Amino acid sequence: MLRFEQVTKIYSGQRVVDCLDLEVKKGEFLVLIGPSGCGKTTTLKMINRLIEPSEGKIYMNGTDISRLDPVQLRRQIGYVIQQVGLFPNMTIQQNVDVVLRLLKRPLQERQERVRELLAMVGMDPALYAERYPNELSGGQQQRIGVLRALAADPPLILMDEPFGALDPITRESLQDEFKRLQEKLHKTIVFVTHDMDEALKLADRIVLMKDGRIVQAGPPEELLRHPANDFVAFFFGKKRKENEIYLETVDEVMNPAPVTIRPEQGVAEGVELMRRRHVDSLFVVDKEERFLGQVTIESLNREHLRAHQIIELLDTNVPTVLAGSKAETAFRIMTEQRLKYVPVVDTEGRLVGLVTRTSMVNALASVVWGDGISA
Amino acid sequence: MVSVLDWGGFIAANFDRLLLATRQHLSIALTAVVLGTSVAVPLGIYLTRREGLARIVLAVTGIIQTIPSLAFFGLTIPFLGLGVLPATLVLFLYSILPILRNTYTGIKEVDPALIEAGKGMGMDSVELLLMVELPIALPLILAGVRISTMYIVSWTTVAAMIGAGGLGTLVLGGIAVYDARLIVLGVVPAATLALLAGRVIIWLEKRLTPRGLLRDGQVA
Ligand SMILES: Nc1ncnc2c1ncn2[C@@H]1O[C@H](COP(=O)(O)OP(=O)(O)O)[C@@H](O)[C@H]1O
Ligand SMILES: [Mg+2]
Repeated sequence: MLRFEQVTKIYSGQRVVDCLDLEVKKGEFLVLIGPSGCGKTTTLKMINRLIEPSEGKIYMNGTDISRLDPVQLRRQIGYVIQQVGLFPNMTIQQNVDVVLRLLKRPLQERQERVRELLAMVGMDPALYAERYPNELSGGQQQRIGVLRALAADPPLILMDEPFGALDPITRESLQDEFKRLQEKLHKTIVFVTHDMDEALKLADRIVLMKDGRIVQAGPPEELLRHPANDFVAFFFGKKRKENEIYLETVDEVMNPAPVTIRPEQGVAEGVELMRRRHVDSLFVVDKEERFLGQVTIESLNREHLRAHQIIELLDTNVPTVLAGSKAETAFRIMTEQRLKYVPVVDTEGRLVGLVTRTSMVNALASVVWGDGISA
Repeated sequence: MVSVLDWGGFIAANFDRLLLATRQHLSIALTAVVLGTSVAVPLGIYLTRREGLARIVLAVTGIIQTIPSLAFFGLTIPFLGLGVLPATLVLFLYSILPILRNTYTGIKEVDPALIEAGKGMGMDSVELLLMVELPIALPLILAGVRISTMYIVSWTTVAAMIGAGGLGTLVLGGIAVYDARLIVLGVVPAATLALLAGRVIIWLEKRLTPRGLLRDGQVA
């Protein structure tokens, strides 16, 4: 599908991409990974000719792409960037069908396609097609960014840290969603990231770069089990220190967006919020996001006839942990006091996240799994 | 003190004059702004593609702007004589800068990520301009047109000095015959026209700005 032959990019005497040889097979999910500044973005942008190589050639289906018209070339390649880059002056419909408009496809076909795409990611077309990007959440915006790249059904899609700016929870759900999508669509994908977990999760093949060169390329399993050198081993092992239990701080394992409510809000609102977000407790915070306590579904059930405001049901006797403390601390509190979760607060007393049993299990699982790697 | 009745009679007596002056005033100002806009917008777009030239042109037009209008009107007399033509020409030159500057800045300030996304989707430079850069810069360009229009409408009053007509003639007449009422009859409509023109363009800005670019119902 795609072949790099001795591709080099020189910026003011510096070889930021250096004699790159690389082949991407049709239907392959290739992840370019490496430390910041190693040349991932440059490599990616040479494929759709936003950057021209200084030396070497890139072939797409056997054709030297430098002989193609760059505008025509780009219309056949999907492109997703980290900053999302949705056009704020266009509706979601117009954003998603932009390539189809460039290709002068009729309105009806475009509308059908957008409906189909929105439905694919579980966004109701009737609700979203006529909205503007600033009326969507960050996660929804990046979903649209991905749909925009898929609209004209290009065989090849380039993605530059598409989920990098999202919070961990949203990032993970978009990764899962995209993986499912890819299993259906079988696109050829070149995906840039600096997040090892993301690479391991999505890639058919990982290409690890450093200083503009490929250090090692292969399926995730191979890079983990047979790292070509210390750099590879270090890069994939850097989150796991030897003989020490894993993830250092609660910040790394917590859910950064617990469902909160203000003390002056009504009890009925609280019930509705729990129902909508599928939670059985709400965290009560004041205007400054300072943590005051919690209300549980039990107390709401018991007292909803008597109480009017959340503050009347406030349980202030809730153990918390300080942001930056060891994840173990939170886990110990949870096991010893038989809690389902521990709120994380910062030094100002503001609620910044929630360590749950799920985060605990995930963290422990990654230790077990991480141990398997060094074996 | 001048009584209300006196004002009624005064306006009635000078009504034809007022109407004529207002019409001349509007036609000069409008011509200047329309010409100014049709030069400034394309020039502004062109300058975003020519960095070096942009710096020079913006500096030169900046200097033109600092010449007091009265001096400028005077300077053109030896070359163009008196009348509507030199007045319109000077006002036209004046109207360019705010629009030019806003068009240039508006397009330059479009988020580079959007430009990259547009190019990456396969827009050529004309498509990028029409689909992305201009629509996003539009609120700022229109704000430039509004500023220009309000200035030009009030400066047109000065154009009467070189015989262009307009509401300034009433002011000059008033000064000549020591009649304060005549001065007021020129100044008040001129100020009202400037404010009205401003409102009309704000309305246009609201109409033309896509909902996605509005922040809290405000025009940028
Ligand atoms: N337009 C440019 N001019 C000069 N240097 C650049 C330019 N773009 C990127 N670089 C340099 O090239 C190197 C690789 O950049 P990039 O491909 O963006 O890295 P990555 O995406 O892996 O973080 C970096 O050191 C960066 O500073
Ligand atoms: Mg990059």
